[in-house]
Amino acid sequence: MNLFRLALAFIARRPGVWLLQVAMLAFGVGLVASLLLLERGIDRRITHDMAGVDLIVGAKGSPLQIVLSSLFAMDTPTGNIPLKEAEAISHNPLVAKAVPVSIGDNAGGYRIVGTTPGYAELYHAHLETGRWWTQPLEAVAGATAAKRLHFTVGTQFVGQHGLSGGEAHRATPFRVVGILKPSGSIIDRLVLTDTSSVWKVHEGEDAGAAIPGLIAAPRGREVTALLVKYRSAMGAVLLPQIVTAKPNLQAASPAVEVRRIARALGIGAEVIRWIAIALLLLAAGGFVVNLWVAIDQRRPELALLRVLGASRARLISLIGLEAAILGVAGSVLGIALARLLMGGLDAVAEQYGAEFALPPLGISELMILLAGVILALLAGLPAAILAGYVSPARELARA
Amino acid sequence: MAATGNLETDDRVPCALWVDNLTAGYAGRPVARLDHLRLENGAAALLLGPSGSGKTTLLLALAGLAERISGSVLVAGVAPSSLDRRRLDRFRGNTIGFVFQNVHLVTGLTLHQNVLLAAYATGARQDATRARELIERLGVGAAADERAEKVSRGQAQRAAIARALLLRPRLILADEPTASLDDASCAAVADVLRRSAQEEGAALLIATHDHRLREHFSTVITVEALG
Repeated sequence: MNLFRLALAFIARRPGVWLLQVAMLAFGVGLVASLLLLERGIDRRITHDMAGVDLIVGAKGSPLQIVLSSLFAMDTPTGNIPLKEAEAISHNPLVAKAVPVSIGDNAGGYRIVGTTPGYAELYHAHLETGRWWTQPLEAVAGATAAKRLHFTVGTQFVGQHGLSGGEAHRATPFRVVGILKPSGSIIDRLVLTDTSSVWKVHEGEDAGAAIPGLIAAPRGREVTALLVKYRSAMGAVLLPQIVTAKPNLQAASPAVEVRRIARALGIGAEVIRWIAIALLLLAAGGFVVNLWVAIDQRRPELALLRVLGASRARLISLIGLEAAILGVAGSVLGIALARLLMGGLDAVAEQYGAEFALPPLGISELMILLAGVILALLAGLPAAILAGYVSPARELARA
Repeated sequence: MAATGNLETDDRVPCALWVDNLTAGYAGRPVARLDHLRLENGAAALLLGPSGSGKTTLLLALAGLAERISGSVLVAGVAPSSLDRRRLDRFRGNTIGFVFQNVHLVTGLTLHQNVLLAAYATGARQDATRARELIERLGVGAAADERAEKVSRGQAQRAAIARALLLRPRLILADEPTASLDDASCAAVADVLRRSAQEEGAALLIATHDHRLREHFSTVITVEALG
C-alpha cells in the first residue's frame, strides 16, 4: 500500500467525472501547446529559411514580395536586377557575403534556382549523394524535391517556364548530379543549378515578352535578387540607403518583413491564446468543485484514515497527489493532442509547400506539463485543506 | 450518569487501558463520563448504553480523538493527552486498533490492501504476510484479493478486525460492531473479536447498545447520557 495506490483507488471511484475533468484540462493544455508548437515551428522554419541573410536586393517593388520570393519560395519576384549592379554591391566593403538567385522556372512545381554553391552554404546544406554542378544544365536537388520528383543522380528533366507548370524548355534538359541531405529549410524544396544554366535555358527569348519578374533577359545578364550578409553593423545602416538610391533597385530586410507578417498574424494568435487560458481556468474551476465534492463524500473514509494514525499532512498529500495525477494525465494528454494536431497540420501544410519545422519534444512541453500540474495542485488545494481538517470524532459519530 | 469498571488489579502497574474520572465531550460541552476503568492485556469489557448516550465519544476520547474535558486516560501507560498531534497520530495507529459499525473498508482497495492500510497510515512496516495470515485466521482468506465493494458486510467487518489487529495493538476499541446483525452473526462477531484480541494479547473495549452482547462479557459498564 502506498500513497499512489490509494490516490488511484479514490480516483477510480468516479471515472466519468475525472475523465471529463482530464479531457477539459487536456483541451486547454492542448490548445496552449498547439499554439506554442505552431509558433516555434514557424519560427524555426523562418529562422532556417532566413539563413542569416541580412538584406535582399531586388527589383523595385514590394520589399515583402522580394523577401517572400527570394527566401521563402513564395510569391513571384518583383523583377530582375542587372548583373553588373549585383556585382557592384557584392564588392562593396560593407558586404561579407553575397549570393545571387535567379528564379523563373520550375521542375514539377519545385522552383529551379540559379545560384552559386554559396547558396547551399547559407543553409549549411550538404550533399547526400553525387556532386555539385561543374557546368551549365547540371542540377542539385533538395531532399524533398528529389523524393517527390523521384530524382536520383543521373536523372534528366526538363524545366518548365514560370513558378508552377508552364511551357517546357525541351531544348535545354537538366541532369541531376547531386541530391542534398534534408536540412529542414526551404532548400529541401528547391532544385539548384548554376546561374549560367538559367541564362542558357532562356537564351534567345525576348525579354520584353517574359512574365514580369521572371528570368528572361539573356542579353543584359540579369539575376532576380542578391542575398546579402553584412560584414558589420554599419552595413545595416548604410547599405539599404546605397541600394535604395539606385533607381532600379529595392532593398528588403527579411527581419523587418517577417516581423511585419508576425505582427499581422499575432492578433489571431492572441485571441486563441486567451481562449486557451479561459479553457484552462474553466478546467481548474472544475477541479476545485469536483475535488471538493469528492472529498466531502469521502469524509468517513478520511476520518477512518485519521483514526488509523494517518497525519493531516498525509491526507493533504493524498489529495495533492490525486490532483497531481489528474493534472499530469490532462497535461500529457493535452501535449499528445497538440503533437497529433500539429503533426496533421504540418502534413497538410507540406502539400502546399508551407510545412513548418515541428520542433522535437523539449523544455517548453515540460514547462506546460509542469504548469498543468501546478494548476491542478492549486485547484486541489481547498479540497486538500478540507481533507486535512476532517474531524474523525464528528464523522465517526455521524456514521 | 457515570460508568465504572473493574478495579481488581494494582493501579500502579501499566496496563492496556486505565481511565480515571473521564468526562468527554465536544467544544467544552460534556457528553459522557467514565468514572474508572482498568483493562489488562487480553481482558475485555463492554460499554453498554442506548444510542446517543456518548459511548462513541468516550471511545474517541480514549484515543485522543474527542475532547477530554476532565479526568485521566492512560493507554499502555501513556497519556494520549501528553503527546503532540503528530506523535498522538502515530501512537494511536500503533497502539490502538479500531473496529467501527459502518465505516469498515476503503472501496477500490482489496481486503488485503485494506488491512495493510493500518501500517501505511502510521508509516509502520507493511507486513503483507501477517496481513494475509490475519485475514485467513478471520475466515475471509478466499476474499483477500477481492475489492472491498464486492464482499459481504460480514466479510468486510472481519477484514476490519484483521486491520485492527495488524500492528499488534495493546487496545482494541470497537464501536457498535454488531448493530443490525442477526443473532447468529452477532454471536460470531463477538466471539471473533474476543478471541482475536486474546490471541494477540490486546485488551478489548466494545461500545454498544446491543444487549445481546451482555452474555459474552463479564465486565459490563453502563453508560447514560449526561444532562
